[in-house]
Amino acid sequence: MTTRPAPVTTHAEPVMGTVFSFTAVPGSVPPATVRAALATACRILHRCDTVFSTWDPASPVSRFRRGEAPPGAMPPEFAEVVRECQAAKAISGGWFDPWAMPGGFDPTGLVKGWAAERALAELRAAGLAGGLVNGGGDVAVFGSPPDGDRWRLGIQHPWRADALACVVEVDAAVATSGPYERGAHLIDPATGLPACRAASATVTGPSLALADALATALAVGGDEALAVLAGVAGYAGYLIRPDGTETDTGGIAFVH
Amino acid sequence: MKRAGWYVIAGAAAGFAGVVGLHGSGQAAPVALGQQRPAAARGAASPAAPAPARTAGPAARAGGSGAVRRATGAVEQYGYGELSVTVTVHGSQITDVSVPLLRTAEPYSQQLAQQVIPMLKSEVLAVHSARINGVSGATYTSAAYAQSIQSALDKLRA
Repeated sequence: MTTRPAPVTTHAEPVMGTVFSFTAVPGSVPPATVRAALATACRILHRCDTVFSTWDPASPVSRFRRGEAPPGAMPPEFAEVVRECQAAKAISGGWFDPWAMPGGFDPTGLVKGWAAERALAELRAAGLAGGLVNGGGDVAVFGSPPDGDRWRLGIQHPWRADALACVVEVDAAVATSGPYERGAHLIDPATGLPACRAASATVTGPSLALADALATALAVGGDEALAVLAGVAGYAGYLIRPDGTETDTGGIAFVH
Repeated sequence: MKRAGWYVIAGAAAGFAGVVGLHGSGQAAPVALGQQRPAAARGAASPAAPAPARTAGPAARAGGSGAVRRATGAVEQYGYGELSVTVTVHGSQITDVSVPLLRTAEPYSQQLAQQVIPMLKSEVLAVHSARINGVSGATYTSAAYAQSIQSALDKLRA
């Protein structure tokens, strides 16, 4: 049986120093409702950017890093992100540690995934049949894609811009970290110095905030972090080492 | 370190088409294929080759319904150097991904020159048979997005 692809709305929003791409599968939801949900989702992203930008010296997180704002004076989102960061630090065995970053507390490795997830929740709440948000390479989905049963994501090839390392199927979240786009931004919490034991590190799981943090941990910690990840229920990791060899924890639905 | 400047490489996509691979079913497989393999076998791009755009073949062969459409991102600098990516879809199926222009900066170009780019056993290049809804990768900047496969997908579906 063949079914016609559902009409799909896409939107690309420049925010947080990258671009967030949305795919909205409306189902029976009218176009105006889809547009309104996308607009709300984008407002959430810009709000997160305003609060958590470490590039903007006037942002609340920048003031906090300089010791100019006590935790009690921070916006409500801040406490939630701190809690997520504490959980991610513990779950990653310390490979993800926003408190060990140069310049003070830096939740950047988690915030993008967290923000994307909050944005996507607006599409889900509006009753759409399916949705995807891609926050600069970190992806969250729900429901059904327009063209199949499960969402399929290519994993960017670390050395070839036009290639994929593989294709995976996901039901919730996939995040990838690596040094190939922005150089040595990955910091080893143990030393505070740039360190990277992966060419590419991908994590799948139910939460994009945690998957984002764990992908950072996997990029920094390599095989040691992968061993930690293997014990985290619901999450799975796929590691391409700097020499091009590959390994994974099992549990990732590879298509190719 | 000495700056070698830009190399123009091309014909890459055509060479990669031969290495569409299989991923073991979720099993750890720490096997190094790449570094032992001669450059010719993996179709490694040659520095300073001309830059032909690849278009027809796969799209013409692909099944599925709907019009064949292509979108190419603008040329700008980013982590890999300078490039633009063209994605072709036939209906809802991606039938081709090609790079009409790619100039790489160090150290990537040095790797090319030394022919030590590892080849992944699971490499998917032209994605002939794959439908994908997006691409997960290390965070690109706003400028780099314009050259990404995700950007081309967004254009095609807008």
